[in-house]
This record gives sequence, C-alpha cells and structure tokens, in this order.
Amino acid sequence: MTSKDLTLTNVSRRFGTVTALDNFNLHVGVGELVALLGPSGCGKTTALRIIAGLESLDSGKVAVGEKDISKVPAHKRNMGMVFQAYSLFPNLTVEENVAFGLQMRKVAKHSRLKRSQELLELVGLPSHAKRFTHQLSGGQQQRVALARALAFSPEILLLDEPLSALDAQVRVNLREEIRRLQISLGTTTVFVTHDQEEAMSISDRVGVMSNGVLEQIDTPDVLYNEPATAFVANFVGVMNRIPANLADGKVNIFGKNLVASKKGSETGKIVALLRPETILVKKSENQGNAKVLTRSFLGASSAIICQTHEGTIVQSLMASLNTGEFQPGTSVDLEVTVNEVMVANG
Amino acid sequence: MKKRLDLPLLTTLGALSFFVFVPMLSAFEYSIRTPLEGGYGLTHYKWAVDNEDFFHYILRSGWLSALTVLITLIILVPTVTWLHLSDSKLRPLIDALSLLPLVIPVVAFAVGAQISFPEFVQNTVLELPFLYFVLALPYAYRALDIGLNSIPLKTITEAARSTGASWVRTIISVIIPVIRGAVMATVALTFALSIGEYTLTVLLHWDTFPTWVTYVAQENILGAIAISMMSLVIPFVLLTSITLLTPDRSAQRRK
Ligand SMILES: Nc1ncnc2c1ncn2[C@@H]1O[C@H](COP(=O)(O)OP(=O)(O)O)[C@@H](O)[C@H]1O
Ligand SMILES: [Mg+2]
Repeated sequence: MTSKDLTLTNVSRRFGTVTALDNFNLHVGVGELVALLGPSGCGKTTALRIIAGLESLDSGKVAVGEKDISKVPAHKRNMGMVFQAYSLFPNLTVEENVAFGLQMRKVAKHSRLKRSQELLELVGLPSHAKRFTHQLSGGQQQRVALARALAFSPEILLLDEPLSALDAQVRVNLREEIRRLQISLGTTTVFVTHDQEEAMSISDRVGVMSNGVLEQIDTPDVLYNEPATAFVANFVGVMNRIPANLADGKVNIFGKNLVASKKGSETGKIVALLRPETILVKKSENQGNAKVLTRSFLGASSAIICQTHEGTIVQSLMASLNTGEFQPGTSVDLEVTVNEVMVANG
Repeated sequence: MKKRLDLPLLTTLGALSFFVFVPMLSAFEYSIRTPLEGGYGLTHYKWAVDNEDFFHYILRSGWLSALTVLITLIILVPTVTWLHLSDSKLRPLIDALSLLPLVIPVVAFAVGAQISFPEFVQNTVLELPFLYFVLALPYAYRALDIGLNSIPLKTITEAARSTGASWVRTIISVIIPVIRGAVMATVALTFALSIGEYTLTVLLHWDTFPTWVTYVAQENILGAIAISMMSLVIPFVLLTSITLLTPDRSAQRRK
C-alpha cells in the first residue's frame, strides 16, 4: 500500500465550552512528516485523534487522497498510531503485538510473523520477538509500538508525543530513527509534540498551534527566521522579550533605533522580540547597560545571560571565542546586530 | 534466612479451618459412616450416584449456571468497558445501583418477578439464568470494575482500534485476555452463586440441584450430605480446569 496525502478542511471540535479545534485546516503531502507543535491543551491530540477516527468532529472534513473519510470508523482507516506510553497489549509477545494489525486483516500466521520479524529488525529489536512487553524498557516498548503501527503498511502514520515519557538520550536517538524509518518507508506522517526542538529537528514542516488554531505552518527555517505571529516567535526557539516604546514605527533598544517589522495595532508600551544570536555582548569600561548573570559554554558557541539595569533578563548567543571574560557580575554593553524587530503587546 | 512465624497466614488458615475446613471434614466424615454395619464406607455415595435424578439435576444446574456465566459476560464486559471509556458522570450512580441486588430481599425479588414477568417468561426455566445474573451482578460488576481499573484501558483500546480491530474484536481479542484474572473471578463467582442458589429457585417453583438435595435430605440425610460433598467437588474441578486451560501467559513468564 502506498502512502497518500492527508487533508483536514475546516475541522471544528468543542468539548462543552472548550473549543479544542477551531476551523482547523491542514494538508500533509505524500511522504511528508509534519509536526504539530504547541503548548499543552492547544488541541494537538484532538486533531490527531480526529484524523485517526478515535474522536468525532462537529464540522469539517478529513480526507485521505481524494477520499472523504470523516465517517469511516477508526478500525477501517488504515492508519498506524503510536501513543505516549502503555499502549502495547500485555497479553501478547512482542512479535504478536507487531503482527496484530495483520491478524486483524486476516493475513496468514506464517506471513504475519515473517513481516513482524522484518519490522523488529527495522526498529532494532530483532532478538526480542518472543519477549513479553513488560520485559522491555520504555524506549524498546515505543520501538515495538512503532513497529506495530507500521507493520500493516498504513497510509498515514500518527504519533502522539511518542517520546515524551522517555529519557533525554533515548529521546534524541529514537526521534532520529523515527525520521530515518519514515523517510525510507515514505509514510505520510503527523507527529504531535510540545517540544519545539524535537519538532524542528525531524520535520519537513512544523505546524504551530495555539488555542485550537494553526498559527503558522512552514519549514523549520522559515518558522524560526520569519515567524508570522508573536506567538510563533515566542514558542519556536529562544526569544528575548525586551520592554520598549514604539513610536513612529521605531523602537529604541540599547541605544539603537530599530524598525518594527510587523506593524499591527501596537503603539506605546510594547515588547521587542529578539533572538539571542542578534544580541552582542561587549565588555564595558564603566557601568555599561547590563551585568552578566551566567555564561554557559556550549562548545562552538556560548550562551551569556545578562540583566539590564532596568531588570530585564536578556540572553545572548555568541561564538565562544573571547567570551571567557564574561564572568558573572561583569559590567557589559549589550548591542543589537539587526535593524528590524518584531514587536508584541507588552 | 531464618524461618519466621507468618502470623497473618496462620491466622487466616486458623479462621478458615474453624469456619470452613472443620465443618466440611466433619460433614465428609458423617457422610461415609455406615450406621447399619458400623465403621465407614461409600454406601451413601453409591446410593446417590445410583439415583437417576442425581445426574439429571446436576446437569440441569450445570447448564443453567453456565448460561448465567455466558449472559453475565456478554452483558457486563461491554457495558462496564463502555462505562469506563465514557468517563460518564453517572458512574458513581451505576456503582451504587449494581449493589442493589445485595440489599433487596430475595423474597421481594421473587414475588416481584412473579407479578411483573409475562407468562411465557415464567413458563420457561430460562428465566432462572437471567435472575441469577441479577443476583450475581454486585460481585461480577465489582470484579470487572477492578480489573478494568488496573489497566490503561483507554490507550489499549485505542491502540487496538487504530490497528484495525472492530469493537467486538477489541473486546474479545484484547480486553478480555488483558483482564483475564478479573474475568476468571467473574466466571467463578457467577457460577458458584448460580449453582448453589436455593431461595429464589424454590420461590419460583423450579427444581434444580440444591432444591432436589433438600428434598432428598428428607428421606436420607446421609445420602443428601454425600450428594452435597460431590456437588462441592464438581464446580471446584470445573473452575480449576478452566483456570489451568486458559493460562495467563505473560504472568507465567514473569515468574
Ligand atoms: N474528552 C474530552 N472531554 C473534555 N475536554 C476535552 C476532551 N479532550 C480534550 N479536551 C479539551 O480540549 C482541549 C485540547 O485538548 P488536547 O487536544 O488533548 O490538547 P493537547 O494534546 O494539545 O495537549 C483541552 O482544553 C482539553 O481539556
Ligand atoms: Mg496531547
């Protein structure tokens, strides 16, 4: 079975007074991996469950390829789903878990166990076929869950925070393996996460959600460099929020006049949004405009966290060379290296 | 390691022997007495087995109880599962309602059934399994409730559904095997309660094994005791074999 594209059109879902999804639109191309990223409660899981058929929708349409599947029950949708944790069947062995989808599709036992073994090799657990799931670590269990979701060659793969219950190291390894597998199998995939680093590192495109709405969907580079809204700017990557005054479309930050790039209704007291790499820290001969709080050496670059005399915390990211002098307490001058700045309501 | 006195175990065993084992053994001892010849023998057991009604009634009670178990599982497993999945606000109410059969006197229940049930239902012995189901409901409901509470039901169900299992397949191939212990407890409780039910059966004028034993006791008390001893063994063997024939694979390997 080859992968298909996925389209959600004007999907809405309310729970009582809570609007979990509000006229939600999404298109995922064939073989593409799209991450849905957003804070807890923004509607990511609801969107995924509606795609899977595990949740009903109030209005709108879900289509796979050309076909409207809004009314198709979950078990006939041919989508693989991986959950956060504890989704394996404890009464079955690892290989039986992986073969379960094929068993439901009435594939002969011999063929489905063979396929199961193939998948276990793909996820790096070739020798665990006969084990029971409680004998596996959290990371291994998620590999098995992934193998189970892929074994019946689903048209769409859905992952709901599959890594969030795992240790940091395992999390990073497994996300790269998921991406590698997804590319080699060419499965259209929706990956839900609240971890922006995770989303940015493995996706073709990332959709940033807030309050049931897709704020922006684009490649990680565009999201980072050209965020469409202040919410996206804040949520993706590290962002400094510096209080300032907006007058005549200009903002003065650390003595430099910057052009406010997104002109909205904001005037007067605003917050300027600046990435750490646009802030330069210089040693000051006198008071300067800020003091160093901490310096974290990250290898090629260093993060220097300062506090302005007004009390604002500002983070700078600079090449590590010569940053050794920025010991805590050092008086420094902060400078902005760009000429445009995004502003948000203060 | 030094052997220590397991006080809780000893207390339990002590209580069990006082209230269960000793009376049972005494009954057994009594049932193998042969007053005419003196000493012991299996005369009364022979008398019971030779009595053609013995097999008739034990079979009848057997299949009525089996039917009760079936009805209980078919009605209760999907219902309790659905209750758990729906996070319904009515659950505490249902929990309380399921206890009602414990507090309603069986007599009231029987009379109520006689008044309200249509004629054609009262004319068939098949009314009994449905009434036994109600009597066993508090126990069966609780056993399943505990079983379903002990597993990540929602995730497992959704995993099964998204992997291609219909609702029926999900319940049969996933949920029942996963809460196997609770299902076995439900089977055992329901079967034991049905096969020993006396009051309701008599009040509705049906004859089953327990009512027949009471009847027989009037002419041969020792024979009746022998019959009862055997009727203890039959469900025991049955339940043990069910348990052994459907082993919990994951638990076995766990050891
Ligand atoms: N079954 C439900 N009943 C009531 N409210 C729900 C239900 N599912 C989700 N919600 C609400 O919908 C909103 C979105 O939830 P969810 O999709 O789980 O968010 P996320 O996965 O992004 O954390 C939340 O406010 C949540 O409380
Ligand atoms: Mg969620």
